[in-house]
Amino acid sequence: MRSEPVVTGIGVLSATGQGKAAFATSLLNGETAFGVMQRPGRQRESAYLGAEIGEIGFSPGITRQTLRAASLSAQAALFVLQEAWIEARLDDVDPHRIGLIVGGSNIQQRELTQVHEAHRDSPAFVRPTYALSFLDSDLCGFCTAQFGIRGLAYTVGGASASGQLAIVQAAQAVLTNQVDVCIALGALMDLSHWECRALRAAGAMGSDRYGNEPARACRPFDRDHDGFIFGESSGAVVIELLESSQRRGLAPYAALRGWGIVMDGNRNPDPSLEGEMQAIQISLDASGWMPAQIDYVNPHGTGSIVGDETELKALQACGLTGVFLNATKSLIGHGLSAAGTVEVIATLLQMQSGRLHPTRNLENPIEREFHWVTDEPIDHQIENALTLSMGFGGINTALCWERHE
Amino acid sequence: MTKNEILHLIAQHTRDIVSGLEAHPFVASDRLADLGANSMDRAEIAMLVQESLNLSVPRIELFGPKNIGELADLFLIKIDAV
Repeated sequence: MRSEPVVTGIGVLSATGQGKAAFATSLLNGETAFGVMQRPGRQRESAYLGAEIGEIGFSPGITRQTLRAASLSAQAALFVLQEAWIEARLDDVDPHRIGLIVGGSNIQQRELTQVHEAHRDSPAFVRPTYALSFLDSDLCGFCTAQFGIRGLAYTVGGASASGQLAIVQAAQAVLTNQVDVCIALGALMDLSHWECRALRAAGAMGSDRYGNEPARACRPFDRDHDGFIFGESSGAVVIELLESSQRRGLAPYAALRGWGIVMDGNRNPDPSLEGEMQAIQISLDASGWMPAQIDYVNPHGTGSIVGDETELKALQACGLTGVFLNATKSLIGHGLSAAGTVEVIATLLQMQSGRLHPTRNLENPIEREFHWVTDEPIDHQIENALTLSMGFGGINTALCWERHE
Repeated sequence: MTKNEILHLIAQHTRDIVSGLEAHPFVASDRLADLGANSMDRAEIAMLVQESLNLSVPRIELFGPKNIGELADLFLIKIDAV
């Protein structure tokens, strides 16, 4: 029997739901939480739309002092790791055989901006702990300290594909026997007004067109799309080999059958049909699957005009027109570094429920050939799913997931 | 500013950083390390007190005091020197 990585635990946080039960319910109900963003440091002579997480509902054991030292990204990581940890019963695993891969780089931009602005006129009083917290890898230190993880821990970055890269890296860590269990974290990307402005100026972030109707602004694959809408999120998935999960009597969500990672040789944000096709094809080949065996695709689907069009062309060219398709970002927004992990989680939760979540604002799909899930959820048992994440700098990632019997 | 007021500031910031000290009655002979503050916590507490006092003390001088009473004395000297 081929040894395959499986998912045995999930933790998730989004503006529409904290924890997998609430998150799954919000997805299937098609709930959204878009508005003019309010978090300090997000706006400056601006009214950027987005979806922000409310107060995080931590378990009582987490002290005020622990949270004081944690950035928003670290707090989100703590929440999702705790949920995934309990589900996968990681207290029963040797901590030296547990690893953590943090997906995302330059994730704490708003926190950094807040520190700089607070101490602009009093640099002598900048906090010593900033020496730790400015590093993305502080999430590795913070989380491994909180959970007593003693195997490997490091960050991987691939822009908006970081969340899927973390899953691939975690799978490789267990396949090469570096650890028995590896948690992939899609870290919360905490944008400041500076990144929002640049992303808007670059044409990636959606316009003010729906400024007065925030619920209508995020519209992947719709004729009136004009860029992504940001949404805070974070997710954790626990990856291990099937044999390892069986030792703890766990029933996995799904197996990771294969993946593809392809670069376009292009620094810029623009997508590549060829690169996306290759990533999909490599992941199918690695899985030993024909296109017709895939029944659901969770696309990258940001709402970018050229990105959405290119992605659908890639699916068509790979013979994937018979699939069910929805856009998780239409509900929770684009989590950037976290998106890949959180959308894999959305896929696995739909797989578990036997239902597919609606896509908001998909009034006129730019391509009608697919089985779109539009206004209402539909009953469908996902058997084999493909999940896609692409990122600035020409990175394309595709993962193939098989439902666990 | 009296020594007691500075001790009160030290206690207040220490409670913000180190958990479990809400009911601890701070006295001058308390050592931050014994109260559970690691080296990063101690640097953070010292900085927060300096900011509250609007006073900047070179890091090297902060290694001298052996307990929070001596730390308060150091800050008192620096305030008087301003």
